[in-house]
Order: sequence, then C-alpha cells, then structure tokens
Amino acid sequence: MSDKKITIEFNDRVVRQFLLASVIWGAVGMLAGVLVASQLNFWQLNFSTSWLTWSHLRPLHTNAAIFALVGNMMFAGIYYSTQRLVKARLASDFLSSLHFWGWQAIIVSAACTLPFGLTRGQEYAELIWPINVAVVLMWVVFAVNFFWTLARRREPSLYVAIWFYIATIITVAMLYIVNHLAIPTSWTHSYSLFGGVQNALVQWWYGHNAVAFFLTTPILGIMYYFVPKAAERPVYSYRLSVVHFWSLVFVYIWAGPHHLLNTALPGWLQTLGMTFSLMLWAPSWGGMLNGLLTMRGAWDRVRADPVLKFFAAGVTFYGMSTFEGPMLAIKSVNALAHYTDWIIAHVHAGTLGWNGFMAAGMIYWLLPRLWNKPLYSQSLANLHFWVGLVGILLYVGAMWTSGITQGLMLNATAENGTILAYPNFLDTVNAIRPMMLMRVIGGGLYLTGWLMLAFNVWKTVRGAEPVNGSIEVSEEPAHADAGQLSLVGSFFNPPVLFSVFGVGFVCVWMFGHDFVSIAGLVGAMICTVMAYAHFGSRGRKWGDWYDKLLVNSMPFTILTFLAVVAGGMIQIIPTVITNRAANVEDRRQIPYTPLELAGRDLYVREGCYLCHSQMIRTLVPDVMRYGDYSRLGESIYDHPFQWGSKRNGPDLARVGGKYPNVWHLRHMENPRSISAGSNMPNFPWLLANALDTSTLPRKIAVQRQLGVPYPAWTDAQIAASVSAQQKVIAKDLREAGAYVAADREIIALIAYLQHLGKYEAVKPTGSAPKLAD
Amino acid sequence: MNPNQPKPTAEDALRPHSFDGIQEFDKRLPNWWLVTLYVTIVFWLGYWAYYEWFRTGPNDHQRIEREMAQVEAAKLASMASGQLDDASLWKMSRNPVMTAAGKATFMTMCVSCHKESLRGIDDGGIGANLRRQVWIHGGRPTDLVHTVTNGVLVKGMPTWGPVLGQKKITEVVAYVLSYHQEGEPMSVQPAAK
Repeated sequence: MSDKKITIEFNDRVVRQFLLASVIWGAVGMLAGVLVASQLNFWQLNFSTSWLTWSHLRPLHTNAAIFALVGNMMFAGIYYSTQRLVKARLASDFLSSLHFWGWQAIIVSAACTLPFGLTRGQEYAELIWPINVAVVLMWVVFAVNFFWTLARRREPSLYVAIWFYIATIITVAMLYIVNHLAIPTSWTHSYSLFGGVQNALVQWWYGHNAVAFFLTTPILGIMYYFVPKAAERPVYSYRLSVVHFWSLVFVYIWAGPHHLLNTALPGWLQTLGMTFSLMLWAPSWGGMLNGLLTMRGAWDRVRADPVLKFFAAGVTFYGMSTFEGPMLAIKSVNALAHYTDWIIAHVHAGTLGWNGFMAAGMIYWLLPRLWNKPLYSQSLANLHFWVGLVGILLYVGAMWTSGITQGLMLNATAENGTILAYPNFLDTVNAIRPMMLMRVIGGGLYLTGWLMLAFNVWKTVRGAEPVNGSIEVSEEPAHADAGQLSLVGSFFNPPVLFSVFGVGFVCVWMFGHDFVSIAGLVGAMICTVMAYAHFGSRGRKWGDWYDKLLVNSMPFTILTFLAVVAGGMIQIIPTVITNRAANVEDRRQIPYTPLELAGRDLYVREGCYLCHSQMIRTLVPDVMRYGDYSRLGESIYDHPFQWGSKRNGPDLARVGGKYPNVWHLRHMENPRSISAGSNMPNFPWLLANALDTSTLPRKIAVQRQLGVPYPAWTDAQIAASVSAQQKVIAKDLREAGAYVAADREIIALIAYLQHLGKYEAVKPTGSAPKLAD
Repeated sequence: MNPNQPKPTAEDALRPHSFDGIQEFDKRLPNWWLVTLYVTIVFWLGYWAYYEWFRTGPNDHQRIEREMAQVEAAKLASMASGQLDDASLWKMSRNPVMTAAGKATFMTMCVSCHKESLRGIDDGGIGANLRRQVWIHGGRPTDLVHTVTNGVLVKGMPTWGPVLGQKKITEVVAYVLSYHQEGEPMSVQPAAK
C-alpha cells in the first residue's frame, strides 16, 4: 500500500436537495393533513368539489407524508451518512441527480393524479400504474447508486446503519413490485393481479412492511449514524445491533395479517399475524434501547441542544409505537380498536413522533454542516420542539380517546346483550366530535412547528455558501479481497445453517400433519439445543464469521434478502395458488353486471373505501349491526379488494337491497338530507357526469383474463346490458319522484351498491354447523 | 443462543474499529429484554399449538356461530317469560344454546321416566315416548308447555311449573321439540296404552 493520500469530496449537493425537498413536501403533506382533519369536522370544507373532497385528498396526505416527507428525508440521510461511513463519494453524480429529480417528478405527478380520482384503490398503493413504473425505475437508480458506492468503498467493514439501508432497498423493491402487479385497461387505470382475500393478504404484507422498511429501517439506520454523532457518544451495544437487526428484518415480514384480524382471512394467517407481531416487540425495542442508551452521558446537553431533544423524543415515540403495535395486534384488543381512530393515533405517533422528529433532529444537525453557517436560531428550534411535542400529544391523546370511545359505543349492547345500544352509527360519530376537533388543533400545532423549521432553514441557508464535506484517504482503494468469503463461507456456516434449519423445522411443525408435524417440532427443538450448545462453546467463531461477513457486501445483501423473503413466501404462496373458486367457504360472489362493474370503478375513484369497509368481522357487534359475517368467497372476484381499514362511516358489505334506489340518490347528492348530522361529503357531480362506458369492454376483457367468470360478450352485448339496467334503475327512481338521466354516473354507482352482499350458496366445506334462524 | 456470556472485562471496552468517528460498545443484552423476546416466542408456540395444531380452541366461525346463538337464546329467553306461541317455541328448538340448556334439565329431572333416549315406555321407562309423532295430551308446542307446567297427575306426570319455572320448562320443551320437525304429521291418542 502506498502512503500517498488523496482527498475525496463528497456529493453533498444531492443531500442538500433532498433535505430541502423534505422540508417543503413535509409542509405540503401536513397542510393536507390539517385540511382533511378539518373536513371531518366541517363537511362544508369539501366545497362539493370533487378534487377538494376528503376521499380524494386523504391519499394525497398519506402519500405525501410517506413518500415525500420521509422519502426525501431518508434519501438525504442515507446519502450523507453512507458516503462518510464507507469513505467514498456517491458513485455517480448523474444517477444522484436523476434520483432526485425523478423522485420529485413522481411526487408532482402523484399530486396531479390523486385528487382527480386516478387511483388503484389500495392504501399507500394508490398511484396509477405509469407512476408505479416510474417509482420502480427510480428505486433501481437509487439501488444502483448505493450498491455501486458500496463497491467502491474504502472502508471494508459495513457499519450497522448500512445494514439497515441494505434491508430497506431490497425489501421495498420486493414489496412494491409484487403489490403493484396489475393489468392495465388504459393509460390511467389497471386491475390488480390479485383479487379478494389474496389481494387483501398481499396488500397488507405490503402496507405493513412499507411501515417497516420505508418508515422504520431507514430511520433506524439514520439513528445509528446521527445519534452517536450528535451525542458524541459511542453506540451502546454492537451485539444488540446484530441481534435486533436480524430479528427485526426476519420477524417484521410475517406480521402483515394483523391488519386483517377477525376478518374472512383464514385463521392460520391471523394467528401468524398476531403472534409474530408480539414477537416483534423485543426486536423493535432493541433499536430504541440502542438509540436511548447511546445518549447516556449526554443527557445534560439535551436541555440546550434541540438536535438531541428531537432525537430523544423521536426514539421514545418509536418505543411507544412499537409497544402499541403488538398490543393492537392482539385479536381481542384489535376487535375494539380496528377501524377506529385508535389506529390513527398509532400511526401518527409513528409518523409525527418518530419520523417527523428524527427528520427535524437530522435537519438541524445537518444545516450548519452543509451550508457552513451556524443555525439561524437555536431558540426557534427549541420552540419548534415544544410546539411540535404538544401538538403530537394533543393529537394522539385525542385520537386514543376518540377511538376507544367510538369502539366501546359500537360494541355496546342493551337488553341483556340482545340489541345494540347505539344502533345509529351517527350517534357514535357525534360522540367523538370534540376529539376530532382537538385533533385539528394538535395537528395544526405540529404544522406550526414544522413551519418554524422551514423558516429557520430559509434564514440559515439564505446567503450561505454550500459546502461539501471531504475526507483524506489513501490513494489505493481498500483491498476488497481481505477476508473475502467464499460461497461456502457465506452460507454454510453454523449461524446461517442453524437459522435455516430452525426455521425450516418450525415450518414443518406448523404446516405438516401428524408425524411429519411432530418430527418438525422435535427437529426444531434439537436444532435450538444444538445451536445453544454450539454458541456456548464456539461463540467466538460466530463473531469472527460475522466480522468477515461485514466486509462482504454481496453475501450480506443476499442473506438479508433470504431473511425478509421467507415470511412473505410462506404466507402468500399457499393463498395465491389455491383454486379460488373452490376456496370460498360456503358462499361465492356473483360477478358484477357491466353497469355494476362501472359503478364499482366509480366507488374506487371516489375513494369510498377510505371511510367504508366491506368486511363484517366474526364479532357479535359487527354481525348485529351489519348482518351475517363476511365469507372469503364473497369478494373473490374483487380487483382490487375493498375490505377497507377504517370506518368513518358504517360497513357496506351487505348494504345491497337495504335501502331503495332513491335513498342512495338523495344520500349521495346530500347525505344530510337523509342522515341528519352526517359528516360525509356531498357527491353532486355523480348526478351531473355522464358515465364513460367506452372502456368497459376492455375492462371486462381484463377481468376475464384475471379469472372472473364473464362470458365472451361482444361490445354490443355489453352496451345493451348497460343500457337495459340503467333504464330499470332510472325508471324506479322516476317512480319515486327523482328524475335523473339514465346515463349518469350515479345510476352505475347505485347499481353497484345494490349488488353488495349478493352471493350464491356453495356446498359448505367447513365443519362449523350453520345456525338456522 | 446465549449472548450473555459473562465477559466482565469486555463490558465497557470499545470495539476496536470506528466508522467516521463513531465507536461502539459491546454491552451485554439486558436480561429483561431477552426475557421479553423469549416469552413472546414461547407464547407464539403455545398459541399456535392451542389453536392450529391441536385445534383445542374454537376457530373464528365456530366462535361467532356460538356467540350469535347465545344472543339469539337471550332474545328467545326474554320471549319465554312473556306470551308463548308455537312459532317461537319451534324457533327455540333450533337454537343450540336453548336446547343444550333444556337437555341439561331433562337429563336430571325427566330422564328417570322418559329415559335418555326420550323413548320412555318403549325404552324401559314409565313415561310417554316423546320421540313418536303420536301424542297423548296434545302435540303442539304450547300443549307440551301446558302438560309440563301443570302435570297429568293421573298418569304420574308431576306438576313442574312451581319447580322449574317458565324459563326451564320452555328450554325442556325446546329440547324435546328438537327431535321433531315443524309441520310433521301429528296425532293425538288420549289413551294410547
């Protein structure tokens, strides 16, 4: 090795760009949040205008918070820390720029499509397919830029932050691609490849792990870099990093079904979702411990330093949310909390408390270093902290109270448990109105704090000279061959083999029958005992192997991928390959008529699923309120599924036939004309717009491709069917005194709503005896 | 796995390597943290074994069907304290919670004469055969309630009204009716034997 030194300059330009984008989009996302929260209180704020309506803006709010605020913040943090941790400039300036501008273009196109009803109808996966393709491309750009930089690193060993970045990149790619598989019907519309229960399972495998690998692992990596930097203290425990990293990435993937507890999802999946969520508690808290205990010895500085304040509070919120998550995943707790504001409290403790505060801490720490100028105002940053904290506490406290109140009211019964205490859903909505108002105030305070940050950023950056970090290194790159692991060395060694065989045996126990199952259990126990004994006697070798693995980025990445892919494969593959038509329990959905299908696409376009579930859970209050519990066969042909995750209004799974057509017409035009005190927006444009039937033949053709049993209709047959059904409904409305042209959108939506809950009985396969009544 | 190897000397030592100036301790994992991890793993094993392996616990469908039957039973029970009619008694006879409660009463109070099979005299007992579609004192559900409540002293049927009360009598009748179908052919032979 020659001693000749060279100086490399880091690409901090892209870090500055992402940082500023995060500040700006964060403010936009939070502003959208305050608006949608206000709309729930004051329906007038929907302005009877489609693109300003709650159900069109809510996806904008969630997508902005996740992909724009946290996304940009994550890229800034990852690019800043990675260059320094591996002692190399980002591999390609072109890819870095492309990544930045591409990502901003995606955000802008999201903002230009979601309010106008261009959506896929799955939460956090709403963006239409051309934007999905762009996201995947940008993610590939990010991955190439990142791994190329790793390949050129001068620091052979990978620091724990890098482990989390690697897990983020490969897992988000996997989740995003699988959940967005779809067949386009036009440039702006597609049908998900999966339907009904399969779609539900894949969606929440994605949705849950978007939280895990987009909002958690990258931020943990950022924590592992910026917290020790800001605290000027060593990380608390390396071995805790190792144990909690691997347990976190392995266990997280399995927990997705906890979003579908007590639904028609098969029981074994619910059991896995609940128990793995509980097992996730300790791995998550491992991260919290390492964050908080790293600050030990720097607590005296927390009082004055806004950066440490934000980090300490952010990590504490992480600990709180990751305790609350497993608790909410307990089936009986979930029976109360699911579909209520309690879940809203939970996710905002995560995004505002954990993501938002970690972002703020990181930004305040980076500003002076990226612009070579002291922060404009420390006291304004401290004020931001306190205003933001009060904001979150008000928000979360209000939503806890609201969720528990409404949950208890919805579940309350009277007269010896034979009738509902609050049969009118609106009674439960009106009971939580004060809390909904408190939420607006809390959210408003948080936004105010963020605007203080934006002001501080502007005052600091204005007139400042951007400065790029640099480092002096030996001219020769680190010899990557030092300690290179062979294929055998990477995968055929005690820690990996014990893990693989242990998981394998446990799966044999869980899914095998009779003796195979018992053999799996015995195998798992022997494997555990052997691993314990081996670690006891040769533990040092495990450590040596791991040290070697850390200088081998490719084997490390492959092992991480294996750890994250296991849970998803075991849950999804059996569900997807089963013959759908046979796996329906005792009921099979009747496919929609062409007009009803068109109406369903309107239901998706208008974002109805954001307030109305179509899933009656196997719970007494659900059955008493909405009718017989939903069977998985009753939505098998739904692409996308619309089971929903929140009930701002009542469930609609069996609303078909419950009310006359004219009820729906009046209700969509002005909900308050039917239900006094309702906070649902008006949808008057449905009465004015003509239904676009031109894409129906193509849509039905795609549905046939997806396995929905439609006959091979000609375009003329489809048009005739649509027109005939339109006339029947229009005539019925006319007889009830409502005059609407038959070709209006509302007619199709009514046709769809009246179909909900229609099924054909199938010979029962389950063992549960059916109660006759 | 035992990450708790006692390494008193290594406890506060920093790992040799530093990354961009960041150093790492290698402190042992807190015991309470490990216990939390292990307890949740054991809970998973037990929960899976209970619900999915031995299938000891009811699945969701069995549970909701049972719970709704209980709600239905409570509704019917409140009906039982009011005016009874044939239709509601037939409905009760199809409710598993009602008939299970009736069976329990039947097997302690009625079984001595009517036998476990309900076949009574045809099964070595002294009471009437309740499985036949031929009745002595009337076979309509309300007739049965009347017979049980007031008894037929000449035939040896006690007066159960004061002993069992209307709720239990209704349940017992529901249980007997569960062996019959609404609308089945039925005849009355006052002095069959």
